[in-house]
Amino acid sequence: MTSVVPTAALPDATIAGTGPARSARRKSTGGIGTTVVMTLVALLWISPLALLVITAVRPLADFVSHGPLSWPETFTLKNFADAWGIGNFATTYRNSAILLIMKVPIGVFLSAMLAYALAKLRIRFGAAIMYTVFLGLTIPIYITIVPVFVMARSIGLTDSLLGLVGPYLAFGIPFEVLVLQSFFRQLPDEIIEAARIDGAGPWRIFLTIVLPLSAPALVTVLILDGVATWNEFLFALILLNSNAHKTIPVGLLNFQGQFSNNSTGLAAGILIAVVPILIAYTFLQRWIVGGLTAGASKG
Amino acid sequence: MSAATHRARRARKARHGGPVAWGFALPALIVYFVFLVYPALSSLWFSLTDWDGLSAAYNVVGVDNYKNMAADPVVRQAAINNLIWAVVTVVVPVVLGLALAVALNGKVRGKPVLRLIFYTPAVLPLVSVASIWGWLYNPQYGAINAFLRAVGLDSLAQPWLGQDSTALAATMVAAIWLRIGFPMLLYLAALQGISPDLYEAATVDGASRWQQFWHITMPGLRPAHYVVVALSVIDSFKVFDLIYAMTYGGPGTATQVMGTWMYFNVFQYNQAGYGTAIAVVITVVAIVVSIPYVRSQTKEHAI
Repeated sequence: MTSVVPTAALPDATIAGTGPARSARRKSTGGIGTTVVMTLVALLWISPLALLVITAVRPLADFVSHGPLSWPETFTLKNFADAWGIGNFATTYRNSAILLIMKVPIGVFLSAMLAYALAKLRIRFGAAIMYTVFLGLTIPIYITIVPVFVMARSIGLTDSLLGLVGPYLAFGIPFEVLVLQSFFRQLPDEIIEAARIDGAGPWRIFLTIVLPLSAPALVTVLILDGVATWNEFLFALILLNSNAHKTIPVGLLNFQGQFSNNSTGLAAGILIAVVPILIAYTFLQRWIVGGLTAGASKG
Repeated sequence: MSAATHRARRARKARHGGPVAWGFALPALIVYFVFLVYPALSSLWFSLTDWDGLSAAYNVVGVDNYKNMAADPVVRQAAINNLIWAVVTVVVPVVLGLALAVALNGKVRGKPVLRLIFYTPAVLPLVSVASIWGWLYNPQYGAINAFLRAVGLDSLAQPWLGQDSTALAATMVAAIWLRIGFPMLLYLAALQGISPDLYEAATVDGASRWQQFWHITMPGLRPAHYVVVALSVIDSFKVFDLIYAMTYGGPGTATQVMGTWMYFNVFQYNQAGYGTAIAVVITVVAIVVSIPYVRSQTKEHAI
């Protein structure tokens, strides 16, 4: 398995290079039909979220009397105020943010170090290390929760955000190393060699040459790891039990139970929980798409 | 030992980074072993005990937990559900994702917006996806039943998540909703690598669109198929959040999967030993299925 881009996989690639430009490939009439169909499918795909927004901004009485598929007669922001207070979102937001800031930079930095050793430092047993780390991609979290819970309890880190940092770091490392080492590998050896001849040590080379040159890959990994950390549920579910320490996903689950008969409040609460991630995704999607594709294809 | 082997060994040592390389590698490796490898392996030990998860003492019971699993009807149900889940939430998103990618790769307006929309569900927390769909499926206030009533199909309106016959399918619809974007993105990237000249030549030779798809697009995407399917299968074995937050494995045990049944045994029925054994079985299956992928990734990068 090489990469997603199939070069050698095409037996008749030799005939390439004779045809005219790409634009002639599809008849110009095909564009409108496909666009209409794709737009309809996209509308269907986004409709749960659209419905959620419409429901969140209407009074409950309006929702109950006209049904979920009607256009609101009046608009209100009161649902958000109610949901914010009852859902304890001020606390869960703060906790998720603290966790993000504690965990993500450390995780990416440690992974970058390991990736550098694997890609450029010719570490012994490199292939075995890589195999072991990549195997981590396949391990479901639930196989580790009993021992992790026992470990956290023995050092008094249950019900503490700090207790989540270790497991979160460990489960982030495989993907981060996969993406970063493949990026580092593409950096020309000559640059590193030149720095070495100028007397720069391995740390200096790593910090002042490798990391700056890898900024695009680092940003991608930071974002993807940030999304994964923000969304993680199972470790948070088993390790955190007081309301003061819950993160967004666990808090949302409790909230969902309390609001099962208040659709407008529930919709507002769900939106409060997902809006930061939606905004981040919309602005940063270029990096997310690039990273997923690189991580999955080139490894 | 001959001088030649000595020299070769010294040369090999010089090529390796030595202590410096380990200085870079060790911090991440220590975290990885302490919080992932060690817990995963010590689960093997816990699965051989009758530990309840609370008391200080427990007995080693050998493979009793594994024997009991064979007689546990919920384990059988969960295993079947895992299998259905793996097939449906891999095949459907991969096929739909491929269709979307091929369509988006042609002449379509607003490509970036369409791509943005189809991948959006994948970035949401799974708990919120569960909340959204739980709300859509609500028998009384949900949009799905409201839609069926609006178009005159009142008889089809039903408690989707509340009855055995539809609950698992209903959770899988939510999974398909969020998992279609990933294959789409990978296929879109792979399609960029297929030379347009191939289609050109095929058109000149009189090949239909359908023939072009099967004889140019599909063979060209073969490496992508492998990666997409492997990653989707790996992901499907991890199913927990969505089921837990949508149905808690219910109604009854209709939507239990190995991950949730493990959780309930450990944290609600005080059977940590038994629950861990369940997790071990499904994890071993996941690893065995994924090993070819892990090996190919390593082979590709190892120096």
